[in-house]
Amino acid sequence: MAGLLSGGARAAPDLSCAPNSYMPEDAAILLSDLECDVHIAPIRHHSPACAWHLKAMIAEIGPAAILIEGPDDYDPLIPLLTHAETRPPVAIVSILEGPVRGASYFPFCAHSPEYVALQEGAARGVPVRFIDLPATDKAMREDDSNPLDPIQPLALDEWAFDSSDYVRALADRLGCRDGNEVWDQLFEARIGEADWRRFFGDVGRYCSHMRESTATTTMEADGTVVRETRMVAHLAQARREIKGPILTVVGGFHAPALAEALPRLENVAAPSRGKAERSPYLIRYGYRQLNALTGYGAGLPLPAYYEGLWQTVAAGEAAPFDKLAHRLITDFAAHLRTALLGAWTAVPILVATLENAHRLAELRGRPGPLRDDLIDACHSTFLKGEEAGDASPVMAELVAFLTGSAIGDVPASAGSPPLVEAVRQRARALGFRVDDGERRNRELDIYRKPRHRAASRFLHATVFLETGFAQRTGGPDFRSGVDLDRLIEHWSIMWSPLFEARLIERAADGDTIEEALAAELNRRLAALEAQGMGGNASAAIDLFAAACQAGIAAYAERVLPVIEADIVRDADLASVAAALRDLIGLWRGRAALGFDNSAEIESLVGTTWRRALYLLPDLANAGEDRIAATLDALVVLREATGLADESLRALDPVLFDEAIAALLDTELDPALAGAVAALALLAGRIDDAEFAARLSGELRAAYPEMARRIAWLRGVIAISRELLWRVPELIETADQVLSALDDGGFVELLPHLRMAFAALDPREIDRLAHAIAARHGEDAAALIVRHDLPEAEVAANLRADARVREMLEADGLL
Amino acid sequence: MVTETALRAPAEERYSDELAKLAQADDSPRPRGWVLSARAVRRFILGDPKLGVVRKFYGDDPLVDRAIVSLMSNQGLMLVGEPGTAKSMLSELLAAAISNDSALVVQGSAGTTEDHLRYGWNYALLLAEGPSEKALVPSPVLTAMRTGKIVRFEEITRCPPEVQDALISILSEKALAVPELGAEQAVRAVPGFNVIGTANLRDRGVHEMSSALKRRLNFETVHPIADPAHELELVLKQLGERLGPAGVKVDVGADVADILVQTFQDLRSGRTKEGASLTRPEAVMSTAEAVNVLHAAALEAAFLDNGKLTGAHLARQIQGVIIKDEPEDGKRFKAYLDHVVKERSARSGPWRDFYQAARALRLT
Repeated sequence: MAGLLSGGARAAPDLSCAPNSYMPEDAAILLSDLECDVHIAPIRHHSPACAWHLKAMIAEIGPAAILIEGPDDYDPLIPLLTHAETRPPVAIVSILEGPVRGASYFPFCAHSPEYVALQEGAARGVPVRFIDLPATDKAMREDDSNPLDPIQPLALDEWAFDSSDYVRALADRLGCRDGNEVWDQLFEARIGEADWRRFFGDVGRYCSHMRESTATTTMEADGTVVRETRMVAHLAQARREIKGPILTVVGGFHAPALAEALPRLENVAAPSRGKAERSPYLIRYGYRQLNALTGYGAGLPLPAYYEGLWQTVAAGEAAPFDKLAHRLITDFAAHLRTALLGAWTAVPILVATLENAHRLAELRGRPGPLRDDLIDACHSTFLKGEEAGDASPVMAELVAFLTGSAIGDVPASAGSPPLVEAVRQRARALGFRVDDGERRNRELDIYRKPRHRAASRFLHATVFLETGFAQRTGGPDFRSGVDLDRLIEHWSIMWSPLFEARLIERAADGDTIEEALAAELNRRLAALEAQGMGGNASAAIDLFAAACQAGIAAYAERVLPVIEADIVRDADLASVAAALRDLIGLWRGRAALGFDNSAEIESLVGTTWRRALYLLPDLANAGEDRIAATLDALVVLREATGLADESLRALDPVLFDEAIAALLDTELDPALAGAVAALALLAGRIDDAEFAARLSGELRAAYPEMARRIAWLRGVIAISRELLWRVPELIETADQVLSALDDGGFVELLPHLRMAFAALDPREIDRLAHAIAARHGEDAAALIVRHDLPEAEVAANLRADARVREMLEADGLL
Repeated sequence: MVTETALRAPAEERYSDELAKLAQADDSPRPRGWVLSARAVRRFILGDPKLGVVRKFYGDDPLVDRAIVSLMSNQGLMLVGEPGTAKSMLSELLAAAISNDSALVVQGSAGTTEDHLRYGWNYALLLAEGPSEKALVPSPVLTAMRTGKIVRFEEITRCPPEVQDALISILSEKALAVPELGAEQAVRAVPGFNVIGTANLRDRGVHEMSSALKRRLNFETVHPIADPAHELELVLKQLGERLGPAGVKVDVGADVADILVQTFQDLRSGRTKEGASLTRPEAVMSTAEAVNVLHAAALEAAFLDNGKLTGAHLARQIQGVIIKDEPEDGKRFKAYLDHVVKERSARSGPWRDFYQAARALRLT
């Protein structure tokens, strides 16, 4: 290769010393091609050592342009990335559309080589470009097989650093546990050294070995090949446009392919630009999220550790690893004292930890304690007792500590979409912290404090938008009518980059929270209509309630016609009654839900009421399986009549009473007949005497099945247990009927009696027992019989019970 | 002095060649009182193909690093974990490499007294001459302190807590007072002295350790070998070590040994390699037990059969491991046979032998 001036090869790195001796010299790759004046820096993402040496390389080469491996549709964001107010960690997020909706992230830390390259480029005023395929290209997705996971890192080929055959074999020989430790030992340990040529020569060598142990078919399948074609095309274009040295910063895995393409650069066409899809955004990012991504292979794990390393070296400290170890161990001890109750952090233990870390580093032939040495040292000295998997709280805390919870910042001008700005502003105005990733609890006094109510609306809105920012853990629930008497809402809140990313996904919906909510409401409404709930209004009512709580009650009124349409189509009395109950619940909570104009919902209640009355005569057709639900519906309707006196004028009790009266002479299921009779009695449509006559008629009726007689009683009790005391004939007649039974008849009836009286509470049962005993001139207390069962009999019964249960289970009946 | 006829020579004897080679090639600084450098100790345990040193401990290299470093510090080393996870072997290897002497051992038991940790007396001399250096019978701990060696304390948690606590002052002061010889008389430990304890924290009949003692020890948990390939390698190696000196010739196929390792891994983890879950037996399914089974099966094949180990030999020996004191274990193993082994037996000859012989066992 004429004109080859390989920095790596010319410097003839001394590889005789451990541990680099595992990299034979013949694998050197071309770092600098003087003929075309292109220089390649092979890097690993988020590697401080690469960033450090890259800085030196840039200073020496003085590039006229810097090309960086990263989606080329990120170019417009470069001024923002290099803005003085940008503070890493930040990430560029791209919205993915098509079959896989979601977002992909490209994070930058202060110690990322890409970030350093961007800053250096800006400082020198030379053009900086990204050269990879656009983020939305399908070759850039790690894995399309899991569309449920909305967080998709960009494919960065980092897997090779951990799982390629070469790295695994190397780990075995170096006695390292994984590829990250190998990397730390071979490369991070060399941060702060002077010779960048040797460093990048070795990185290039290391990566070309990884590449050699990777099958070509794999690289074709995972998009590596098309991406590299794109990078080369960009490089060719830049070469034609720009005079002077060009520096290309790419993942080490791609470096050999680019180096190979250099001689034929002239013949490569410029990249074709597709039409711009949704533009990407720069967002604040968090170390916790960054670390979570490392599972996908997006760089070195435990970012807070590497940031510490970067800062220590940047501060120009001698023996940076020793300084860092010292600082991290003392800081961790301080962290433990607050994070973990009763954690041991006595000074002698810290001294022992530090000593161990140094000795481990020495044993393993490292310049100072590296990441795994620190972790191992803490493992030795902090853990007392047997280790139970990963559950050790101290070690979990250490991992959290080395991960860090820092969240970056982007300039105010950062072109985050107006929606994100609006949400952020409102969150701050309402006193929510949006600059760290801690989980917090908040209690909102939603009735008495307007500010708290506004905060509640905001949190409900974030829930409505599915941002994962907040979670309601307690408080009144207007929808189900549970805990309506509670005054305080409890929330658990955690800011995460995902929150803003979700908002960015919705940025096209509008510029304010309300607009976004409205768009989301419309989407869900359309889905509801398309789905066609078959006339069941419950989903639409849910939607309306959620929208009201999120603070767009006025807008949410557009759901009401849908609810109405559902209700008038609904042919089932039970579900109409349920809708009535829900709507009344909403009407009662109207102040807290925020709709001042309650006329709309009142009219809806009226519609529902009329629909229920319309369906009421259908009681005659109620099938046996609907009896229980229909009884419940009658109860709801009766309770609703009680509200008519309040202020819900739409509920006209007279109509209900008339409909019930009309049913009195209809042939009904006995349970429903009992309920109707009870309702008529309560409404004054029949008197006690007539009720008693019906009662004895039913109970003495000539039904072939005894059970049907009791069913009537069940209907009465379901409507009003009060009638048991108010109408003495009820107990009297029942008693007479029961007394007339023989033993066999009684036993046959027993289960049905149980069902009828199941609604009574213990006090009522006691009262009933007294009433019946009094009828017979007995004292109820005296009737209580203690049955002392022999132990053997109890045991035998329990066995029989278990056996029956088994049989029922075997037959699938339980 | 261990003679040729000893049933089992200590590690420093068995591996004297390797230790000599390592000492010769050792150019790293040696900690005070150590016969080898820390790196050479590491190579002795984890192997060094260049020097022909075999690997003796599998599965957790960082643990070995941490253990060596702990022994260089003021803290003692405590190896904990399930029975049969090679804790004692590791402590023996460490002592052999660091002190060239793995024989200084205190065996913890319910009957261990403080004298076993400190010193006793030759009572005839004591009565005749009164307390004197001559009448003193040193414990292995005292000997280790005087000579700057590693002392091993096996099964610490089987000792009563008050006996365990005798270690506290030894570990923190590195000195042991002998008041009988005079008020100021104390033995001060020579550099190189340290303690390796082994314990099982979950077994029946063990005592708690005091916090004061725990603070003076660095704990390392030794886990069962998770990688079947490693375990197979280890089991075959240990079998060779047992059969070789006895001159027993057995044809052990790797596929047959694999049955054993696979069965042990399945039962130990409660999950088969195919991913089916099963009820774990209470019995300890350690690598050491696997070696015992293989050894016994090999002997059966050699002396009672034609010298070729089959799955059937394994099946007949495995019963003794599974059924110890929990009758339910027999049922559990039977379920494993019926659901997992049977399926495998349809695909492989050795598994079929194993299955058929195991079916004939009286397991319940």
